[in-house]
Order: sequence, then C-alpha cells, then structure tokens
Amino acid sequence: MHRKIILLTIALLPLFVLGQRKKFQVNGAARAYFFANTLDIADDIDTVTTRAANYGQTLLDLGISVFPNKNTEVLGMFRIRNDLGGFWGGGVSFNVRQLTLKGVAGNVVRYELGDIDLSMTPYTLWNFREEGVVNEADVFALRRDIVYYDMFYIDDNWRMQGGRAAFGLEFANVIEGIEFDGFLTRQRPASGTTEPERLYGGGTVTLRQSDDLSLAFHSVNIFDLAATIPDSILYKNNVHTLELNYTRDLNENVAVGLSAEAGVSSARYINYTDPRAPEAQNEWFYDAGITTGLKKLGITAKLAYKDVGADFLSPGAQTKRIDYSRFPGLYQQFTNAGIGRPVSYADFISGNTENSFRISEQLLPYFSAYANTNPYGLATPNRRGIYLDAERTDSTKFRSSFLRVAALTQSRGTGTDELKNFLLVEAGTDLYLNDFWGGEKDLKLDLGLRFENTSRGGEVFETIDLTSTFIDAGLSWEFVPRLDALAGAKVWSVSGNSFVNARNRFNLIENFETVNYDFTENALAAGLRYRFKGDNTLSAQYQRSSIAHADEALADYAISQMTILFSLNF
Amino acid sequence: MKKLLLFFVSLAALATGCREEDPDGPNLNDLFGEFNIVQDIAPSQTSIDFAADGVLFFNGELSKSTNWVINLVGANTGAERNLTGFERILSSETAAWDGGANTFPAFGLEDVYVTITFPNEDGAPTINDTITITGAKVDAGQLITSFESGFGSQWTRFNQATVVGDIDCNTGLSAKGNCHYSFNGTVGWDWAIGSVTINPESGNFGLPASASNLYFNMAFKALENVGPANSFILFWFDEDDNGDGNFDEATEDRFTYEYWSQDSSWTVISKEYSTLQFDEEGLTVETNGNGLPEPGKLVSINVFFLANPMNGNSRALVDHLIFTSGNPYTP
Repeated sequence: MHRKIILLTIALLPLFVLGQRKKFQVNGAARAYFFANTLDIADDIDTVTTRAANYGQTLLDLGISVFPNKNTEVLGMFRIRNDLGGFWGGGVSFNVRQLTLKGVAGNVVRYELGDIDLSMTPYTLWNFREEGVVNEADVFALRRDIVYYDMFYIDDNWRMQGGRAAFGLEFANVIEGIEFDGFLTRQRPASGTTEPERLYGGGTVTLRQSDDLSLAFHSVNIFDLAATIPDSILYKNNVHTLELNYTRDLNENVAVGLSAEAGVSSARYINYTDPRAPEAQNEWFYDAGITTGLKKLGITAKLAYKDVGADFLSPGAQTKRIDYSRFPGLYQQFTNAGIGRPVSYADFISGNTENSFRISEQLLPYFSAYANTNPYGLATPNRRGIYLDAERTDSTKFRSSFLRVAALTQSRGTGTDELKNFLLVEAGTDLYLNDFWGGEKDLKLDLGLRFENTSRGGEVFETIDLTSTFIDAGLSWEFVPRLDALAGAKVWSVSGNSFVNARNRFNLIENFETVNYDFTENALAAGLRYRFKGDNTLSAQYQRSSIAHADEALADYAISQMTILFSLNF
Repeated sequence: MKKLLLFFVSLAALATGCREEDPDGPNLNDLFGEFNIVQDIAPSQTSIDFAADGVLFFNGELSKSTNWVINLVGANTGAERNLTGFERILSSETAAWDGGANTFPAFGLEDVYVTITFPNEDGAPTINDTITITGAKVDAGQLITSFESGFGSQWTRFNQATVVGDIDCNTGLSAKGNCHYSFNGTVGWDWAIGSVTINPESGNFGLPASASNLYFNMAFKALENVGPANSFILFWFDEDDNGDGNFDEATEDRFTYEYWSQDSSWTVISKEYSTLQFDEEGLTVETNGNGLPEPGKLVSINVFFLANPMNGNSRALVDHLIFTSGNPYTP
C-alpha cells in the first residue's frame, strides 16, 4: 500500500505575504471625532454635576509592513493621538499599537510573533459579544466599531502578545490530514510581591477525515511561573476539549450533521494562604446537537443540548468584555449624594465602559437585568438545557434573518435546591424595503428582539421572576448616492427580581444581593453618513440614552450626545 | 449517524447523573427566610453537678440558621459565659456548656441566669431560664493553690510595713472558690508592695519534666494603682538544678516573668514555661544554673506585687495558680 504524507502550511491569515514583491507597504487608519455630551437630570436631585462634557480627538494609526523576503512580514503600527484643544504637545500621545512578525519557516511552519489574535471554540478561547446588541442599526454600529477597533475585538478573537505556529500533514489514505496549531502568550509580567508572571498557552490538533468529518482536540492552559515573586502562590487553569463535526448531504438540497464539543476544566490555587482558596475545582461540560442545512431556502440550523457544570472555569471563554463593577468614564458620579452611575449598554457604544483587554481568571460581575441565560457566553457555568440557532439568508427582501432560542436551567442550585430556569428568545432580520419595488438605493430596516425570562420557584424568600425585553431596531436609507440617513432605537424594559451572586476571588459564591428591577432604558439615535470610497465615512449623529425607573428613589436621567466622526482607512 | 447520536445521548445522560448537588453559596433560607422557633430551646437539665454529669447542653430547633447567643451569669459570683453559634439545630454538638466562664471569676455553686437572644433577627423573642450548679467544673491541670486551704506551712511572705498582704475569704471577690490572696497598702518610697512565696510541702511540685506545652496560669486583678505603667506582678520560678532539695540563687536557675496590669477586671495570666528562658526580644536570659526551664525541678514560685509609689494606695488580688498542658487555662 502506498501512503503519502505531505507537509503543508495552514493559513493563519490571508496569504498576501507570499508572492509579495514590495519591500514595504504603508497602511492604517485615521479618525477624528467630537462628542458633545449633555446630562439631563432633575435639578432637585442633582445640583452639583456639571451638565455638559465635551471632548474630541484626532488620531492616526500608521502601519508599516516590511517584507525582508518573500516569506516574512514585519508589521509595526504607531498611534499618534491629539486631543482637540491640546496645543503643542498638550494632550498628545504617541504609542506603539501593534508589532507583529509573521511568516513561513522552511515553507512548512507558519508563525506569528508579537501581537496576535487568537480564538478557538466557545468553550476554550472565545471573545463573546457584550450585551445590548441583537440586530444593531448602522447608526449605533458606526460608533461601536470604534470601540471594537481600539480594543482589537475582531470577531471572536482576543488580542494577546506571544507566539503562534501552525503546520499540517496531508495523507493519501484514511484521513485527509492532521493540522497542528499552537500558541504561547504572556498574560502579565510579575507585579509586586503577590502577582507572579502568567503565561497562557495551548493549541489544537485537528484530524480531518474529509470536508464532512473532523475531530479536533483543543487545549488551553493558564500557568503562573514560580520564582517570579517572593511568595510561591501559583494559579493554574487547564481546559481540554474534543470537538466533532460531521455533515452529510441527504440530497442536493438537504444536509444534516452532528456537532459536538465536550471537555473538562481544572483550576488550582497552589500555596495560597487564604483559607477560602479551594485546592482544586474540576468540572466537565458537553454541548452536542444536530445541524441541518436547507440550501434552497438558505436556512441553516442547529438544535443542541448542553450541560456546563457549575465549576466549569475557562477564563479564555468566559471573560466578559464589560466590567460591570466599574463605573463609566462619563458622568462617573452624579446626584447630590455623589453616587456612582451604573454602567449602561449605551456607555459601551460611547466607549465609556471599562473593557477587558486580557482574559480574567475571575468571573467578572454581570448585570442580571441585561443577561442571565448566558452572561458568560456559551461557556456560562451552571447551565444545562436545549438551544436552537437558525439563520436564513436571501438575496432579496429579508436578506438576513436569525432566530435563537434557549431553554436552560441551572445544573446546581445557588443558595437553595430550587433551580433557576431561563428562557431566551432572540430574533432579527435585515429587511431591504427597496427590494419590494426594485429600487437600487438601499432602504434597510434592521429589526431585532430579545426576550428573556428568569424564574425560580420555592418559598417566598427564594422565588425569582424577572423579565427583560429588548428591542433593537433601525433604519438606513441611501436617499442620495453615498449619503445615508440613519436612525436607530434600542429599548430595554426590565421588571422583576433577582439574586446577584457575590463571588470571591476564587469564583466561589459568598453572598447574594437581592435586587428588584423595574425600569426602561432607551437609546435613540439619528444621523447622516456619507460614504467615501472604501470604508471611509463622515458622519454626524445625535444620540439620547435615558433610563426611567418605577422606583422614585432611583435617579432617572438621560445623556445626549452629538457626535461628528470622520473615519478613514488606507 | 444514529449510532453516533445515541452514543452521545447515552454519554450525556450518564455524565449528568454524577455531579455534586449541594447548592452553591450561603443558604437563602438563612439569609432571607422568616425566623421562628420550631422547637423551644431548653437546657438538658435544670440542676447540674459538672464533676459528675459532664456537660450541660441546650436543645432546640430554629426555622433557619442564624446567630444566637446564650448568656449565662452566676447569681452570686457574677461569673459569665457566652455560648454562640449559627446552627439551626441546638444540641449537645452545638450548644454545650462545661461549666466554665469566659474569664475569671469562675462559676461557683449557685444559680445561673440564662438569657438566649438572636441578634440578627428583628422581633425575635428573648428566652430566659435558670440553672442551678450543684457541683463545679473540674479543672484540667495541676493546681498549685487556690488559697482555699489557708497559708501553706512552707510558704513565706513579704509585706512592706504599710501593707496588708494575706489570704482573704468569703468576700465575694475571689476568682474561683471562696478565697484569694490580697495585697493592699500605700508605699510611697518603693515600688515593692508585697509578695507571697509558694513552696511545696516537700520536694518539688511534681510537674512534668518537659517545659514544652506546659503553661503556668494565675488569676490577677489590680484594684488600685492600675494600668500598664503603674503596677505589675513579678514572678520568680526557682529550680533546684542540682537536686539537693534547696534552691541556691548563686548557682541555680531563677526564671522571672513580669505582667503589667491592664485594667481592674480579673485577668488570666498564662505563660508557657519553656519560653521563660527568653526575654521580650527573644534573647536568652542569663541565669545562674543550667539555663534550661525544667518544671520538674521547680521548688518555689514567688508572686511579687509592685506598683508606682507616686500613685498612692495600691491594691491587687491573685488567685488560682495552676499549670495546664497543651493550652492556657480557661476558667
């Protein structure tokens, strides 16, 4: 029997380096914006907070790619930023935004060093989306994209610093090939006497039998380096999973398949003197479902059951983008009592939230009014149940639609044997109204709805009934060539009660805070956008976000923002 | 495909059944549930001889785990003991009393007033009861003296001319029992007030040879000229290193320890015997013998009361000298 093994490289990124003849290339982005903010709050509860807060800046991200040879690229990107109102150096900063070396070694191993973007699976390494987005209007997305760009939130990737290498083996028989992809990153240097240097590494080995069947082993691991601090405390976290994907065409129009991932996590706190530190937290999960594709109808769907244990800890997949324990940067304190203003989803759009730039070993607090079903993404611990993900794409009218439903429960009670139940429904569509009359200029209606109910039975003191309804809608109309009228609305209504977990640094629940919600939070926006060639835009928009509580003891307020934004990519 | 699906479903069903089911975090019933007394809280007996019966305990059941305090106060001595807990069920496991007090004075043969409260529960009732002690708790340890049997035949004492230093009985002031030793007088020219030297009837005190984990304890109460700059007790521990039946200060070990008064309440002075060879800085003290604390050779304990002569009258009580193993004495 003849067997052939062929080494091949795997594309980590588009292979534009190969065949590149230029010695260097300049690219980047430039942005200028101005925010004019106004706080609207009743004078009888706040006479101290300055109502207007304006700021703006211009910045240039200048990237230079150098190609020393046909297989190597060195990318350096510098950021020059100047606050509007600065003068001769005041408010000016100059930083290195990115430094990456990548290429192909020996025509076999593709590598990246420096700033790299990493993503694996929703249970291992995944940068899941923040709350407040279902099917967002362009008028909000314009500004959210700035935050994504600044924080390197590119799809599901986390930006890290380290190295990555990948290669593959191709076989003639039995299986098509095996692919290896590994990385090692530095999460933090040693700090003081209590935080040892931390590394994060892992990889994937994929056995590909064919385009229809593959089996992958994923592993991600946090490990502190001993002897980098005087104390000998060490934190270790390991997550290992197996992923199976199988599809089969029943006929020309119908495909069915199986998609599953299962694995274990282990967290260890070594030499901690804190008596609360658990020796080890071991847990497992699985997520398995059937998939189907109806090609004629443009529908793909997955119906699955998952069971994620209460102690499942996968920092790479559970780190939230927003830290809800931190107050927003704009109007951080308000009212005559000087209370901290709670973070709102609208603050993220404005770039005023404290955002994660690296993975966190601690489960960051979440806002139970916004999300209870999957506050830590698909890998949220202590959840089991069924879920459905369905999408439909079309070339006209309802060009893109989706439906997501999850009916979950806890796998272990929190403070009681009674389990919480979660029902989550998300649906949305991009409706191109111009398709109805054959108009060439797009008139797009974005519609999105999110409904979530959290409940728990039992005695009076432990019952929960919390309902959250979120409407995410907008309009984009190209009323003259390249000039769009934009409008958007986000309306979030929440009522009911909840028990907020107070976790210690070891992710153990130490207490519960009872909260009652009854509020409506809106973000309304309208504006104009002119699209230059490429991705370059000039836009002006007005946004008003407001919150109104049924409880008169809580402060109602609104923040109005006038924004002028010029965005240029080259 | 069907087999694969069946395999995964079976695996999932198997795995789901083998997880720990205990809820995470504190019990919500304890945090937010309604409080009431499910079963009345009562002592296991209303009259107790601790020497014969061992411990007394309280039985009862609450609707939730919450802080409870059982306060016990001696009707005659004023001795006090608090039993505290967070358990929902009160029983011999959670609410037992061995007859001891929080500190001196100790309980005597007397009635004890019981008050049970629930400090975290608004509107919770206060429960009152009475217990009678017919036999006192037996101390674990080796008693040197509680001054109940009069002045020892081998003891000596020193008192300044203006000081009265002697055993007092039936004053109601004793730390334990009916008697204690009292110093009382004004010495305007010297810190020394008075002392009592306690010697065994013969030989040594019969203490263990090893000083490790052996504690010397004494009850001390400064009543006048009180405070950490005003009065203190100085102990001399004299050892017969050569075993000739006598202590020779020039050739044998005299370890000293001083304790300054803090306030005017009874205090348990406890000192691990093995640490007598070190001073406050941890340096080895100089003695004239072999330098090793050897309780088996201890032949004399001198209790010396000193006070600032500038402050007028000085008065202090001492009681209940006892050695314990493993832990300091608890009344």
